[in-house]
Amino acid sequence: MKGPPARHPEEKKDEFPGLEGVIRAATELAPGDRVVYPNQGVCRVVGLEQKDIAGQRLELVRMTREEDGASVMVPMNKVASVGLRRVASADVMEGVFHYLGAIRDDPELDWKVRHRDNVERLIAGGVLGIAEVVKGLHSLSRLRPLPTKEREQYDNARHLLVNEVAASLGVPPGVAEDYIDYALDPPAGVKFQLKPPPKPFVLTIPLYRRKKPPVAAEGDLGLEDLGLDLKALGVAVPEGEEVEGEAPVEGAGAEAVEVTAAKPAKAAVRKPARKAARKAPARKAAKKPAARKAPARKKPAARKPAAKKPARGGKKK
Amino acid sequence: MIRIVTLAPLDDGDLAFLTKTLYQAFGLGTEHAGDRKLPKEAEGAGGDYDAVKLLEEVDPVRTIADDKVLYVTAAPLSMKPSPLGEPPCWGYAQYGGQRAVVSTARMPARGATEASIEVFRRRLARECIHFVGHLWDLHHCYDPRCAMHPSWAPGLPADPDYGLDTFCREKSERRIRLAKT
Repeated sequence: MKGPPARHPEEKKDEFPGLEGVIRAATELAPGDRVVYPNQGVCRVVGLEQKDIAGQRLELVRMTREEDGASVMVPMNKVASVGLRRVASADVMEGVFHYLGAIRDDPELDWKVRHRDNVERLIAGGVLGIAEVVKGLHSLSRLRPLPTKEREQYDNARHLLVNEVAASLGVPPGVAEDYIDYALDPPAGVKFQLKPPPKPFVLTIPLYRRKKPPVAAEGDLGLEDLGLDLKALGVAVPEGEEVEGEAPVEGAGAEAVEVTAAKPAKAAVRKPARKAARKAPARKAAKKPAARKAPARKKPAARKPAAKKPARGGKKK
Repeated sequence: MIRIVTLAPLDDGDLAFLTKTLYQAFGLGTEHAGDRKLPKEAEGAGGDYDAVKLLEEVDPVRTIADDKVLYVTAAPLSMKPSPLGEPPCWGYAQYGGQRAVVSTARMPARGATEASIEVFRRRLARECIHFVGHLWDLHHCYDPRCAMHPSWAPGLPADPDYGLDTFCREKSERRIRLAKT
C-alpha cells in the first residue's frame, strides 16, 4: 500500500493553534501533571524514560490515561506536534458551558465537510472544539438520526468532554454529564443568563488537508506558459467572462493563489471551490459552442495532443 | 447481580415490578438486599441529600466482585451546581462503578388508583434502568425513546409509554453483555 509522500526536511510541520495550555516542549511537563491527549482523554504524566525501539534509543514521556490506566508513551521530540495540552481551567470551562447553552446555528449539512471539520476540532480545537462537535451533532440529531459513523464520533466526543469537564471542575463523571446535558437540553421553562460564548477556534493550518497547488482556471490550458500564441492556435477565449467584468483567466488564477496564501483558513479555502462548482455548469454551457467552433476552423492532427498535454501538466502542477 | 437496597419503605408490588423490569433490561438476577438508613453526613441545609456524598457514606451491603448496588430513596437529592445552575437531580451513579441511587421525590405521585400506580412504577423502573446503565459506562443518549435519555429532558413524556427494557442501540446492549462476561 502506498503511504503518504515523505515530508521534505524544509517543509513546515503542522502547528497546533495557540490555544491556552498547549504544551510546546517536553520540558514543560513534570511527573503528576494532568494533560489532555487529543482523542485519548485526560492523562497523568508519570515521567521520562528511555527505550530501545527499532534500533534507536528514544526518550519517551510516559503517561497514564486516568479513565482506565492505559499507558501512553510519546517521544520527547513529538510532544509539541501531538497536541498535548493542559486540562482546561475553570474559567475556560465556564465559557464552554455558555457556548453549550447558547442557541445553535444551523448545522453544516454536507456530511463530508462536517465530518472532516469535526475530526480536526477533536484533535486541535481544545475543549471548545470538543464542545462544538458535541453541540453540532446534538443539534443535528434533532433534525434526523445520525448515521453510524457520526454517531460514533458523537459518542467519542461526548466521552472526551465528560472526562475533561469532570477533571476540570473536580466532579465525578456522572455529575459532569448531567451538567453537559443540562446545558444542551435544559428542562422546560429554564432559561440561562448566558454570557457571550467564546469564539470558536479556526485552525490556521488544516491538519488533514495539505496545501494543494492552486488549480488553474478552467479555461487556462497553460499554453501561454509554453510560449504558444493562443490566437495563432485558434483557441477561443470565452467572451462572457470579460463582459461580466471578471478578471481574465490568467488574473483569476493569480488571484486564487493570493487568496489561498493569505487566508489558508478552511472557510477561505472552501468558498472559492464551492463557488466554482456552482459556476461550473454555466461556464461549460458558455464554452461548449466555442469548443465546437475551434476545431471547425482548422483540424490539424498534431494540435489535439499539443493542446491536451499542457492541460494535464497544468492541472497536476 | 443487581442488588436493590431501599433507603425508604417501598411497596412490595413496586419492588416486584422493579426487580422484574431490571431483570428484563439487563438479563441479570435482581434481588432486594435489604434496607439501610440515610446517612446524616449527606444531608444538606434544605433537607435534601447530596447524591455523591450519600453514595460514599451509606452503609454498604455484601457484594461479590461485579455486583451492582442500586439504592432507592424517597428523599430529594441534590448535586453541586454547574456553571449554569444546578440540574434537577433524579439520581446519581458512579460512572462505570458499583453504586447508584435513585430518588422518587421528583416522580409523579403514586396515588391510590391503578392507573397512577402504574405510571409511578413505570417511571421508577425507567429511572432505575437509566442509572444502572451508567454503572455499565453508558452515557446519555439524545433519543427520547432510549432509557439513557436525560430524565429531565423536555422530549421525555411524563408517562413513558414505550418498552422500558430497551436501549436505543444494539451497541449499548452489546456493551452491557460484554461487561457482564
